[in-house]
Amino acid sequence: MLDQKDLRPKDMGRSDEQLIKLDNLIPLLAPYDKPGMESPLTDPKPAWKEKYCTSLDGYIGIDTLTRPKSKEEEDEFVRKFLSGLEKIFSDANNGVLQPLLLSFEYCAKCNTCSDACHIYTAAGNNELYRPIYRSEVLRKIVKKYFTTSGKLLGGFVGADIDVNWETIARLGELAYRCNLCRRCAQTCPLGLDNAILTKEIRKIFSQEMGIAPTPLHTKGTMLQIKTGSSTGLSKPAFLDTLEFLEEDTEEKFGIKLKFPVDKKGADILVLHNAGEFMAWPENPVAFAILFDAAGLNWTLSSEIMGYDSVNYGLWYDDVQAKKIATMQMKVAKDFGVKRLVVAECGHAHKASMITADRMGTDRLPVESCLPLLWDMVKSKRLILDPSKNNFPVTLHDPCNVVRQMGIVEPQRNVLKAICPQFREMTPHGVDNYCCGGGSGFAIMNSANFPEFRTQVASRVKFNQILGAFKGTMEDTSTPKYICAPCSNCKGAMRGLLEHYDATEKYNLQYGGLVELMVNALVSLKKPFLEFLE
Amino acid sequence: MILSIIAYLSIVLFVGISVYKAYQFAGMPFHGRMDLYPVPKEKGYEHGGSYYEETAWWSKPHEVSHMREIIEMLKEIIFIKKLFENQRPFWWISYALHLGIYLIMAWTILLVIGAMFELNGILVAADSSSILGLLVFYLSIVTGYIGLALAALGSGMLFLRRAFDNTLKKYTTPQEYFNLLLIFVALITGIFTWGNDLSFGYAREVTGNLVTFTPFVADGLLTLHVVLVGIMLTYIPISKMSHYVGKYFTFHKVLWDNNPNLKGSGVEQQVKNAASFRPTTSWSAPHIKPPVAPEK
Ligand code: SF4
Ligand code: SF4
Repeated sequence: MLDQKDLRPKDMGRSDEQLIKLDNLIPLLAPYDKPGMESPLTDPKPAWKEKYCTSLDGYIGIDTLTRPKSKEEEDEFVRKFLSGLEKIFSDANNGVLQPLLLSFEYCAKCNTCSDACHIYTAAGNNELYRPIYRSEVLRKIVKKYFTTSGKLLGGFVGADIDVNWETIARLGELAYRCNLCRRCAQTCPLGLDNAILTKEIRKIFSQEMGIAPTPLHTKGTMLQIKTGSSTGLSKPAFLDTLEFLEEDTEEKFGIKLKFPVDKKGADILVLHNAGEFMAWPENPVAFAILFDAAGLNWTLSSEIMGYDSVNYGLWYDDVQAKKIATMQMKVAKDFGVKRLVVAECGHAHKASMITADRMGTDRLPVESCLPLLWDMVKSKRLILDPSKNNFPVTLHDPCNVVRQMGIVEPQRNVLKAICPQFREMTPHGVDNYCCGGGSGFAIMNSANFPEFRTQVASRVKFNQILGAFKGTMEDTSTPKYICAPCSNCKGAMRGLLEHYDATEKYNLQYGGLVELMVNALVSLKKPFLEFLE
Repeated sequence: MILSIIAYLSIVLFVGISVYKAYQFAGMPFHGRMDLYPVPKEKGYEHGGSYYEETAWWSKPHEVSHMREIIEMLKEIIFIKKLFENQRPFWWISYALHLGIYLIMAWTILLVIGAMFELNGILVAADSSSILGLLVFYLSIVTGYIGLALAALGSGMLFLRRAFDNTLKKYTTPQEYFNLLLIFVALITGIFTWGNDLSFGYAREVTGNLVTFTPFVADGLLTLHVVLVGIMLTYIPISKMSHYVGKYFTFHKVLWDNNPNLKGSGVEQQVKNAASFRPTTSWSAPHIKPPVAPEK
């Protein structure tokens, strides 16, 4: 094992059992700064070491990446990787060729991007997670195998890495130590984007080698293509869920709610992340209450691919992303609505409005729910009483929505209007930090990966939250609400708060934006937010 | 004569290869969107926002300020703004090199102008009676002194920093040291060649000879300098030091390109064209290539 400070890109080919061990995480802020408030990081189980690739940092992100049983399998693995690597620079990859080549060729190794990365920072400036570390490993392999200069000049141009099973497997794992949040790209003086290279590594593994984390692939995109939703929620089950939620809402709040389903002539088709119906049903309920209160002509779809907005392909596989985006668009068009509105799910925002934007022509217009929600508040179509939300609230900016789409103001305008104790995190807006759940981390729960997510990837975010609520944390009678208008971010928040027992100990709560809005509705007789009861 | 040919050829190669690179990047296939905010051209969303902050955004005009984009680009080109904001200590030396290069470019042009003046009988000297002659004389001195000093200092410091900084060292390939060293040596030979005559009269004379293909006696140092500069000018656009080409595309064509695919737009046409393309390579994972014959 190496001291991370001595780690060099070419060490990825070393035969060590584990390259580095995480031991120097940045301290958490008060009240989590006292000794014993955080469980120590654990070592991988011996059985895992034999089966998976724990030789990077001890964590397992890719549960389908298993050790070869023979020399032939090992050679085949390396061969497949190299064939995929060659393809990312071919016309099979036209859709990213220009950005990829730019980021691949031009890095000046000025190191400006490192400090922007929350994972690198959280791990105490750990060399392994430096944004250019993995890019440089990739460059070395490409140089070694696919460039004349590399073949002729070798180490002089950087082609000095040993390529074996360990090197490639570690690189695959390392591609799942980056949230694809692109914060580093904002600081690069040359406009380069290390997240592109990270995603290309993930793509080679999936598109060429057929290796991707189960929650993203087998139980993600594959399940969605087969059943219509990555939750596996079938149409009858979906309709049952809605019925149950209608009854539940009436029982709890006395509101006669009727979800419009497949309503002909509707103006808006609302797309939820189907995970909301299982994990945070109050969110789609709140949407329904608000859209009805504002008098919108809207509907949900019960068609396969029509009731789940997610598209995990975005994180690891362009082919899957395109299949899903195309199927979703087709359902919406067949439906005959005028526009699609994406509810609180960040990656679904980006998938349907940015990534899918150039995947076909004659698309239905897609818009974010956030401007629409602000419009309802601004135009006073909702009668709201901010004093009902009189507790500290802070806002988490989902990277996909903010940094990658430029939707910055509407959500904070709403909060400023309805939450008297709203306070920003530092930094926020386009400069925000990822929640640590980005690019699939929020749903990757195999082996010890959740430990990496909560204690490393989400660490900077947790400190931002503690910073925003400074001075109010110890007062357990006051709830403190983290507004995260995104399913995946909520998943990360849930992991964080559970791990640190923060709801129990400090009354730290989390949820979406619409829940706060419904809670402020004058017409609602009792609090919508359960923790206020 | 040979030196004149080297001088002309290297400049032609520098410009030619740079333009060719730009042409290659410009001709690359249409790619998916990768906008990253703030996008400076977004008019009315100076906080880093975009047209997506509007309801029914597709039905409203997308207002774009090319001026703001150009200003932002100029800030990057002239001041290397992002480096200044995000890594100040490094900016000092990187900027010294870049500013030095800009000044040397200006100085070279001034030397050519000065040489032309002299050929046409306008004296370029401290006692010149021509205002233009005086102007060129003093500007040459200012740009030349400062340019050579800053660029040499910058490239030398960048080299040393790379060699002694524990982090940078790990990521720097021998080739990248070579790049900096080549610039540094070319500059140092320049300083020694031209430094003897602080009014740059000698430099102007040599420039005049080079430009007009006039044979002249060149000593070893001058020959070495011209050859090194020739190699450097040809090598820069081939190597990744041609980031002045890449930078335009990374910003303008990738991070700041958020033009939506609306009906009747140019983007729509490009999407259509791209859709008709049939790739010659394809991915081989099982979920992408279903088995040709269904299993029995
Ligand atoms: S994309 Fe985000 S997580 Fe990945 S290297 Fe950059 S800053 Fe770090
Ligand atoms: S800031 Fe850009 S050029 Fe500098 S090291 Fe990072 S990616 Fe490379």
